[in-house]
Amino acid sequence: MSRNPQRLCAIDELPEGESKGFDLDGDGQDELFVVHREGVLYAYRNSCPHQPGAPMAWRRHAYLNKESSLIVCFAHGAQFDIESGLCIDGPCQGASLTAVPLSQDRDGNVYLTE
Amino acid sequence: MKIIGPDALLFGVDDLEACTQYLTDYGLTPVGDGRFEAMDGTAIVIAAKDDTSLPADMGNGCQLRKTLYGVADEATLNAIAEELGKDREVSRLVDGSIESVDDMGFTLGFQLTIRRDYEAPAEVVHSPGSNAPKRELNELGVDPSVKITPRSLSHLVYFVPDGDKAEAFYRDRLGFRVTDRLVGAGPFMQPGGTQDHHTLFMIQAPEFMRGLEHFTFHFGGPTEVMLAGSRMVEKGYQSFWGPGRHQMGSNWFWYFNSPFGARMEMDADMDLHDEQWVAREIPISAEISQAFLFQYREKWIPGPGGGK
Repeated sequence: MSRNPQRLCAIDELPEGESKGFDLDGDGQDELFVVHREGVLYAYRNSCPHQPGAPMAWRRHAYLNKESSLIVCFAHGAQFDIESGLCIDGPCQGASLTAVPLSQDRDGNVYLTE
Repeated sequence: MKIIGPDALLFGVDDLEACTQYLTDYGLTPVGDGRFEAMDGTAIVIAAKDDTSLPADMGNGCQLRKTLYGVADEATLNAIAEELGKDREVSRLVDGSIESVDDMGFTLGFQLTIRRDYEAPAEVVHSPGSNAPKRELNELGVDPSVKITPRSLSHLVYFVPDGDKAEAFYRDRLGFRVTDRLVGAGPFMQPGGTQDHHTLFMIQAPEFMRGLEHFTFHFGGPTEVMLAGSRMVEKGYQSFWGPGRHQMGSNWFWYFNSPFGARMEMDADMDLHDEQWVAREIPISAEISQAFLFQYREKWIPGPGGGK
């Protein structure tokens, strides 16, 4: 971890089975999103490998399918495995989301590791 | 063949509740049975993805199940049935429409159009020096609280694995014309019963992308697109591209991601063409894809107070 890691949020703000986007530079566009699944946090860049730079959610924080079992790009329907970020169906099959490393401290704060 | 354009798009969706909210916020009117109508009765129709009454799922995450075209007369309906019946199954459904499939695997329907006459105000622009009609004296140009309802289902765009074959099907079998072509992407196509620049655009893409790329309704004018789009952003929806104005078709555009897994556009003021028009062929580029492009910004005021 670098000396001044950027704090994203408290773990309590990331309910199990949900996703949350982070607009770190305040330009109205999430740079990354975090999915909390079975006790593990997965973070990816908000950029679909189908069209790099394309934002993926259909509404603020809405990055998952109804069952919360897959990440979906709601621009063209690409579906991604939550754990690996691999596109398993849709327009960029075989490509992967760009993972963003996270860390947590004992107080339940979540940080960007970069 | 007097095919007018799409009367309805039928979806089998992952999240009915989300799609219902989205279409309502987009401005369509829910009329029951999963049907959401524009002013002229053209519609998006949604059902749960496991609803067995739906045509088959195309795969690739595409939730579109059927494109239902409206035609002007019974003669057109019969001509389509006869033409497509030459080499594929054509079924006649209980509602009198016919159903078949195009050469790329998209399920098509054709019916006597349900588009109804309606009256809605034009967006009138005061262009100095012009003799065009002006707004009434003391009539205001903008009402930020106005209710905005989409006017009519405009066009849809497919990703297709064989662009030449797809184009030939719509041109040779259904009488569509190519109005313009983006070389490297595909043709803008106009069916015989409309003067809209396009009701169908197709983009050459690998097989695993085959599916719906986007769909859109016509709005009353650029102000409606800007205002309705701003409201979408303010409700938390994700802008994808726009607002801006396309060069091909001249339509104002604003695209949003949607729970349909395809982008939904708002458009206005598309060019109209007849057979005198000579199709342009222009290589695809960012430059040709729009005349200008803007991005939403939160409301702001210049001057003291930090813009708050």
